[in-house]
Amino acid sequence: MTEPDADPDPGVLSVDRDVRPPNDGSHAGENGRSDPPHPRRPDGGARRDVDPLDPEGYDPVDVFEGGDLDLRAGADDCYKCSTCDTACPVAAVDDSFPGPKFQGPEQWRLKRKGDADVDGSITDCSNCMRCDDACPASVPLSQMHNEARGEYVDERMPTLSRTYVRNRILANYRTVAALASRAPRLSNAVAGLGVTKWVGEHLLGITGERELPEFATETFRSWWRERGGAAVENPDKRVAYFHGCYANYNTPEVGKAMVRVFERFGYEVLVPPQRCSGTPMFANGMLADARREAETNVAELADAIADGADVVACCTSCSMALRQEYPELFDIEGIDDVAENTYEALEYLRIYEDLEGALAGADLEETAYAYHAPCHARNQGLARQAIETFRPVAGIEVEDVGESCSGISGTYGWKAEKYDYSMEIGAEMFEHMEAVDGELGLTECPTCAMQMEHGTGYEIRHPLEVLEAALLE
Amino acid sequence: MTDVVVVGGGSTGCGVARDLAMRGVDVTLVEKGNLTHGTTGRMHGLLHSGGRYAVSDRASAAECIEENAILRDIAAHCVEETGGLFVERPEDDATYFEEKLAGCAACDIPTEVLSGAEARDREPYLAADIERAIAVPDAAVDPFRLCVANAEAAESRGARVATHATVTDVLVEAGEVVGVELAHEDAPDKRGGGAGTERVEADHVVNATGAWAGRLAAMAGVDVAVRPSKGAMAVTNVRQVDTVINRCRPKGDADIIVPHETTCILGTTDVEVDDPEDYPEAQWEVDRLLEELAELVPILAEARTLRSFWGVRPLYEPPGTGTEDPTDITRDFSLLDHADRDGRPGLTTIVGGKFTTYRLMAERVADHVCDRLGVDADCRTADVPLPGSEHDAVLDDAMDAYGLRSPVARRSSERLGARTDEVLAVDGPNPVVCGCEAVTRAEVRDAIDDAGTDLDAVRIRTRASMGNCQGAFCCHRLAAELYPDHDAATARASLSDLYQERWKGQRHALWGDQLSQAMLSRMLHATTMNRDGDPARLDGDVEFGAFDGGRPTGDDARPDGASTAADGGSGWR
Repeated sequence: MTEPDADPDPGVLSVDRDVRPPNDGSHAGENGRSDPPHPRRPDGGARRDVDPLDPEGYDPVDVFEGGDLDLRAGADDCYKCSTCDTACPVAAVDDSFPGPKFQGPEQWRLKRKGDADVDGSITDCSNCMRCDDACPASVPLSQMHNEARGEYVDERMPTLSRTYVRNRILANYRTVAALASRAPRLSNAVAGLGVTKWVGEHLLGITGERELPEFATETFRSWWRERGGAAVENPDKRVAYFHGCYANYNTPEVGKAMVRVFERFGYEVLVPPQRCSGTPMFANGMLADARREAETNVAELADAIADGADVVACCTSCSMALRQEYPELFDIEGIDDVAENTYEALEYLRIYEDLEGALAGADLEETAYAYHAPCHARNQGLARQAIETFRPVAGIEVEDVGESCSGISGTYGWKAEKYDYSMEIGAEMFEHMEAVDGELGLTECPTCAMQMEHGTGYEIRHPLEVLEAALLE
Repeated sequence: MTDVVVVGGGSTGCGVARDLAMRGVDVTLVEKGNLTHGTTGRMHGLLHSGGRYAVSDRASAAECIEENAILRDIAAHCVEETGGLFVERPEDDATYFEEKLAGCAACDIPTEVLSGAEARDREPYLAADIERAIAVPDAAVDPFRLCVANAEAAESRGARVATHATVTDVLVEAGEVVGVELAHEDAPDKRGGGAGTERVEADHVVNATGAWAGRLAAMAGVDVAVRPSKGAMAVTNVRQVDTVINRCRPKGDADIIVPHETTCILGTTDVEVDDPEDYPEAQWEVDRLLEELAELVPILAEARTLRSFWGVRPLYEPPGTGTEDPTDITRDFSLLDHADRDGRPGLTTIVGGKFTTYRLMAERVADHVCDRLGVDADCRTADVPLPGSEHDAVLDDAMDAYGLRSPVARRSSERLGARTDEVLAVDGPNPVVCGCEAVTRAEVRDAIDDAGTDLDAVRIRTRASMGNCQGAFCCHRLAAELYPDHDAATARASLSDLYQERWKGQRHALWGDQLSQAMLSRMLHATTMNRDGDPARLDGDVEFGAFDGGRPTGDDARPDGASTAADGGSGWR
């Protein structure tokens, strides 16, 4: 099976620190794409369009040598209240982790230009971003963590170390998945072998406690291509679907549900070429990798936006990356447009469609779900959307299993040395899942779903799948 | 009986004490507060290259560049080699820029002319319309640790250093100064080694009290007309620049930004005052600093300021000069030999001058005093490193050896210099006590060993309580370290003193972020330590019977289902 839109260089892992191309529009050509026919709105982030003689026209980007951001001023907002530390799930279980206040505003304030001494504990942060949500003063905590982690990995972590290699592989899941999906049955068989787990655990430090995710026999994009693309054409209602890696390679049923539900509401669905959102790369300090992926995503999605589409994702970490991390960390033409016009799928329908009306007639076989709100959904204000959407639907019972973090945080729980912490963080969620009526799990996040399944043995659904059942069956 | 009493524990007094002690003279240094209590503790932390004086006062400029080089050598752990820039704005006089360059050349101050773009390359937050700049070897210096190091060096050579000891009288017998009378602060466990009053006889008394020199001189019956001039400074929360930024114009207020440790210090104003201890601290001075310096570094307009403080320059000019404007008074120093000048032998006064040349001033005073005492010994203060500066600290070692987080290890070892191992190599845990400034318990305990129960003296040695929260999260931890060597009442009193000192400077920064910080600090202290009315501090007994029995328990305490959604969630966050 081949990917018609596979990237020209799927396996290239080039290590070039976040080198910013000149923001004059010419860099679009680097991706082998011609400039779009329509002018994009100005980026805004770089402020390079200001009058050079305007004293206000200083550029806050690229302050430290090597293109790093100077985030020291972000420490101005911190009152040291430590609310972030109390909200941090890692600090709660890992006594050696000093917590988000130290990793963010304290460490940045103590930094000096030219210092190359970010503390190694930054790699113990799982990037759940709960600190962002907890902070009463809007300190850009996760941005500080992401930048510090990128700097640490770049300058302090040996590229030949096992941790670096392991993290690089985990962060570049898309590359692994793209290869594995060429022969999914073989890949799944190999993944299930004891020897594979032994190698993963002992040579790479990937925990052998978890079952490696199963690859679908047909990716979402193959299905989409064979289906002949969009079934609805509508220049007035367009969405560009950012499916992310997991819905493509592992759970295409989520992607299919998304397409069917949006077409049910009359939307024309675009599926632009895309790469990894960058989430696992941010969490592992691989900012150069993330930037490479972001350049493609931003260019393609900005094109779709110029064609009248809004961007819709079904993974809350993907939408988080596009909305928050992209504009915070990168300076790519069109990145602010993408950030402003990206939504999570259910969120989008709740804003623009009469979802309640559409669901009024639904009557399903009695099913109870144990719902877990992912941390990244929480940060986007989406923690309650699934509960509120399905509460009035006959036959569906959804119970919230609480505010705790699932503990897996993408790649965190896959690391052998973090596995026990991951399960300790997840214990509360497992316990609550067992306590509620539902025997099926429900969540928007693919890795939260892995953790829920791993901890309880439940099958896990995505809200879009439930929505599809309620609206179309 | 001692050979020499030096009055004033600022940079000059500590420098004189060290110099004399190194020449084998028996010295007693007395200071009414802690070290740096006066002007030294209230300066902007600039180690002058001399560039500032290169046009108007070349003699001072030449002294500055020489002393600058010496201090980098003997006090490396107190100096940060930031470099400095004199930046020119479009409205500034371009000919002055050329005069500055010529002046620097004449005084052997190395310079490099940068275009506006090159200057912004070094300091990206510089205003976009800065036209060009002159780079000079300005540096940042920590006056506190430098002063303490001088005092330590003096003590290690037998000098006595008595802080919290006020001179109440200068003893004059037969027309000659023969010593001083001291009143020790009523806290014998503060450093100083005395209680009550004490009579210290000496062959010679050095008046190194700076802006207070006129008062001390008056006790000896001589007249020294110091013209104290106040200058305001504001401290930002973070470093907007890592280089000293001077405005390249002849003179004026609000023209310098000095990166200092984790902060920047914005300076300054120049207004003559009558009394070095009682003068108005006006908000317009702070406003003006922020407003004018934002012309050089625009983000200062929105920067968080932690506090403001005022220092008093000990300006002096020989009688008859008649200068009106304090900014025109020379920055050079004057050594007044009261034997020749007033027929009052046994007393020497040193006034004027600047922090950067403190060592040179001390050398001149020591030369003079040795001459009077008949001591034949050379000055060696320019060659022998100060305690902590004997060799370079190795940063990576500090991190591995003491198990500290890397920014904590870096900051600690930069402060401690060669003393890093001595201070940080402790058995058992060494938690961070002040998170803002990365100060560990070992460093605090070391400072307490040296400074006694005066927590403000601990602060100046370590920087603890000088960060974002201005001590909200660490003052009580510092006080706790006094116990059990000192009793609870002493720890409590020291804590209150430190709170007051921290509060004093914040009063002038109560807007925006720092106002929020102050509100949070107050709330925390009130609700966790009863700082708004601690029963242990109240006079008389607390009538606990007057309190009610607390909240009722049982079903009526909480209305049904008030806070939990039916599906187990707790509602919109």
